Amino acid sequence: MLKRFFSAMSGVALLVTVSAGAFAEARIEQAWLRAVPPVSPSMAGYFVLVNDTDQPLVLTGANADFAGMTMLHDTGTDGEGRRSMSHLKDVTIPAGESLAFAPGGRHLMLMKMKSVPEAGETPKVCLAFQNHADLCGAFQVRHNEP
Amino acid sequence: MLIAGAALLLAACSEPARELPVNTRLGGDFTLTDYNGERFSLSSLNGEVVILFFGYTHCPDICPAVLARVSQVYRNLKEQGEADQVRPVFVTFDPERDTAQHLREYLPWFKADILGLTGELSAIEKVAEQYGVVFIKEDGGNGEVDFTHSDYIYLLDQQGRVRKVYPADFNIDEVVADVKTLL
Ligand SMILES: [Cu+2]
Repeated sequence: MLKRFFSAMSGVALLVTVSAGAFAEARIEQAWLRAVPPVSPSMAGYFVLVNDTDQPLVLTGANADFAGMTMLHDTGTDGEGRRSMSHLKDVTIPAGESLAFAPGGRHLMLMKMKSVPEAGETPKVCLAFQNHADLCGAFQVRHNEP
Repeated sequence: MLIAGAALLLAACSEPARELPVNTRLGGDFTLTDYNGERFSLSSLNGEVVILFFGYTHCPDICPAVLARVSQVYRNLKEQGEADQVRPVFVTFDPERDTAQHLREYLPWFKADILGLTGELSAIEKVAEQYGVVFIKEDGGNGEVDFTHSDYIYLLDQQGRVRKVYPADFNIDEVVADVKTLL
């Protein structure tokens, strides 16, 4: 009886593993927005994009209904400690890898704000791809890096 | 040599209130416009320790992070009852968009009594030069203006002299401790 139960269980476990493999997916993790004053003209978003699919993913942009314009940006630092932002046309995440957008580097730049979400809110932001359906996530607005 | 170095290190450790050297190459008084639209001279803050930093409010990645960290320094000092003679001062290098009024609306949100300064671009350029700050206006694409800029933070003593310069990712506790050595 017990033995049959266990073999049934391992069957279930096997099934789960297989289905996870079959539905290998891309997902957004640790998504957040830097809290800024309500009069701010822009906001930065950060996240980790996990590409568990078997294709490279080409991230091309994002959209959020509270921002009139969004861009992918990279903050670079030169040899003399000067920072500048540049526009990334697209970013490729190889199959099976993940890529972080983090402060002081790649970030989602939200501009032409219709409203500025406050700390504690979790507005929806969608990432757009050249070769994948939009991925949407709840981006937590917070004062500090998680 | 190694032993001497270690001894030096030990000496430094056992002396918690080590005096910060005066940086004679950077800094100096200047006059800009404060967020109330009044002319403001740095020297009017003599007698207070100043945390001076530069940026612009249209910058969403580094600048709000620095503002948040400087604010945290101030609030930590306040909690310890040590903030009465301390003043964070923010200088914009984007006077076109960072008007006195915009700074007056933007800065109080950080709850750190940050004084905002703007002014004529030429005056701001002069201040930047005094402090070794570089900023270059650039087209950020889609009609947005961005700046390439250095993002150091300056600790000034009661006479407005530069006593320490920090990178943007400074350690909050370190700055709190340094401020206290000047009080
Ligand atoms: Cu940006």
